[in-house]
Amino acid sequence: MRPGRWGLAGAVLVAAPVLVGIGYTALGAVGVVGVGAQGFGLARIGRVLGERAVWSGLGWTLAVATAATALATAAAVLVAVTFRSTRPGDRAARALALVPLPVPQIVAAAAAVLLLGQSGYLARLAHALGLIGAPEQMPPLVYDRSGVGLILALAWKEAPFLSLIAFSLLAVRGAALEEVARSLGAPAAERFRRVTWPLLWRGMLPAIIAVFIVQAGAYEAAALLAPSDPLALPLLTLERYTDLDLARRADAFVLGFVGMLLAALAVAAHEWARHRWELLEP
Amino acid sequence: MRVRRPGPGWIAAVLGVLAGVGACGRAPSPSDAGLAALPWDSIVQRARGSRVTWVMWRGDPSINRFVDGWVAPRLRERYGIELNPVDGQGAAIVNQLVVEREAGGRGTADLVWINGETFSNLRRERLLFGPWAHRLPSARYLDSASAIVMRDFEADPAGYEAPWGRVQFALIYDSARTPRPPRSVAELAEWIRAHPGRFTHDQSFTGIAFLKQVMYALGGGVARFQGGFHEAEYRRASALVWDWLSRLRPYFWRGGDAYPADVAALERLFANGEVDFAMSMNENEVVTKVRQGVLPPTARALVLRDGSLANAHFLGIPFNAPHKAAAMVVADFLLSPEAQLEKQRPEVWADGTVLAPDRLPRIWADSFARLLSDPRAIPRDTLWRYAVPEVNPRYHERLAQDWRARIRSLRP
Repeated sequence: MRPGRWGLAGAVLVAAPVLVGIGYTALGAVGVVGVGAQGFGLARIGRVLGERAVWSGLGWTLAVATAATALATAAAVLVAVTFRSTRPGDRAARALALVPLPVPQIVAAAAAVLLLGQSGYLARLAHALGLIGAPEQMPPLVYDRSGVGLILALAWKEAPFLSLIAFSLLAVRGAALEEVARSLGAPAAERFRRVTWPLLWRGMLPAIIAVFIVQAGAYEAAALLAPSDPLALPLLTLERYTDLDLARRADAFVLGFVGMLLAALAVAAHEWARHRWELLEP
Repeated sequence: MRVRRPGPGWIAAVLGVLAGVGACGRAPSPSDAGLAALPWDSIVQRARGSRVTWVMWRGDPSINRFVDGWVAPRLRERYGIELNPVDGQGAAIVNQLVVEREAGGRGTADLVWINGETFSNLRRERLLFGPWAHRLPSARYLDSASAIVMRDFEADPAGYEAPWGRVQFALIYDSARTPRPPRSVAELAEWIRAHPGRFTHDQSFTGIAFLKQVMYALGGGVARFQGGFHEAEYRRASALVWDWLSRLRPYFWRGGDAYPADVAALERLFANGEVDFAMSMNENEVVTKVRQGVLPPTARALVLRDGSLANAHFLGIPFNAPHKAAAMVVADFLLSPEAQLEKQRPEVWADGTVLAPDRLPRIWADSFARLLSDPRAIPRDTLWRYAVPEVNPRYHERLAQDWRARIRSLRP
């Protein structure tokens, strides 16, 4: 086989389980296969998409993922720009920023419960300092509708990944381009706005999209930190898939398909944005 | 967005579809049909050398120790059976078997720990092998006079599952924090009002079981719900539950705006002092959890006088189990007086026996009588006096659905 064909074979092999999964989910959503299958029909899709709980869960999930991704991106950019030299202090700071990288998401979420819960370490500290008199006076950060605990946990977990990409972007291309801007007489603020920021933003975008998709689909962290209403989409999907009523379990296929559609939309939006830049800057 | 569905189900779905093409519609092996009719000796003979995959709840270290450290070595020595316990419960078992049926071929699980709606779903979908349970030699010692042991949420097991333990619902409290706990649904309501923010229940099985007991209490007793599901009766009684909840909700933890996801999350809130009650579908959980250091030593269990749900848990064999004979031998061993006694020891698991002491040979009956109960445990006669049976699973199903729509959803 020619190298191109090997590449294609590899891609198909990697994609096959996902493609089969998408196909199975689609067939499950229209009632052809899977638990609760009752023969082909579109009624289930209509019913599930007509539920307020589905839309509020979806909206909440997207909002939380957006906030967590924005926070993680901001943290990554800040760390990368602040500690960018080869001095030992900066190297150490960059290494420290990567520490959460290997921590599993469920561990990050469990740590958030211990830290941010109304009986957590933060509350105990506040109590010791005399700021609050009882656990319930601590503002709820876990299981709360604003999703503060979940956003912080997700952002903390994903920031190192984005930082890693930001570090390498600045190290590989940043220095040279900024040097050119400096030699042309651009002041520091202008150099950041015109050179550093666009470089980081465009280089990080694929990773940012990936982080957004992972965070929106995150089950473990939501299970430990999200409120019971609105119910985050991954939690709602599992709740339906394990409903006592067998007939309702296939709702999960519809919800799973909605999730995959959103992931595809996010990727498509990224492709579109990239294409536009290329048109603008040949 | 990548939405995570349950791992085993999803993976099984993909693998099943990938591997299953061409294997569809294969009938169970011909030897299965007459298996349960064979003399017990030949069943034991066939079991030798098998590896039995047992899908069970693996969330309790005490249970795992009993299964891995006590049951498994005895099965290996006496029957040459290798036990392979894997994690899986209820809905996941049903979903996995549905996918395996679609994929065709042999299954993966030999024995499944089930009860209630899981059994009823598995039976309705014809996913269980049987009847076989009446063939177990130890079945002759079963407490056949007890509706709690011989019925599974009102359903007749009909030989498609064998009981192997019984449990009862209990509230867990801390005797140091709450020296005089409420003992009835009415007293509980008063207590909740007097202690705002200190009570809640979880969103999953145990929480709904709690609401079912409230429904029994407010709706005129368990007898009104027995004999199948009655829509009118459900509507009447559930309306009382929603009314009870909407009046008390402002006094719940977080003002009734948020509920812990499952009973483990509720237990965490209790252990951390955020609420004053936890719950368990096992009256002895408090004993094992105190021993594990998860709950404070002053934690105790109580049953509400209006009635406390009691049910049995069972063992089933999937229609596509590769080692059905060995699965029967394992089920029989778990039902034997020896294993039932070990399992009931307070320092082991404290799971109630399904055997009737008066049917047992003298030596075993005496051993059961001598079993010391933990001082923290609820006395057996108290438990049995307030035990009420489960009703048709549809009640549970509807309570769960309606609770989510009417109470959990803040803007219904």
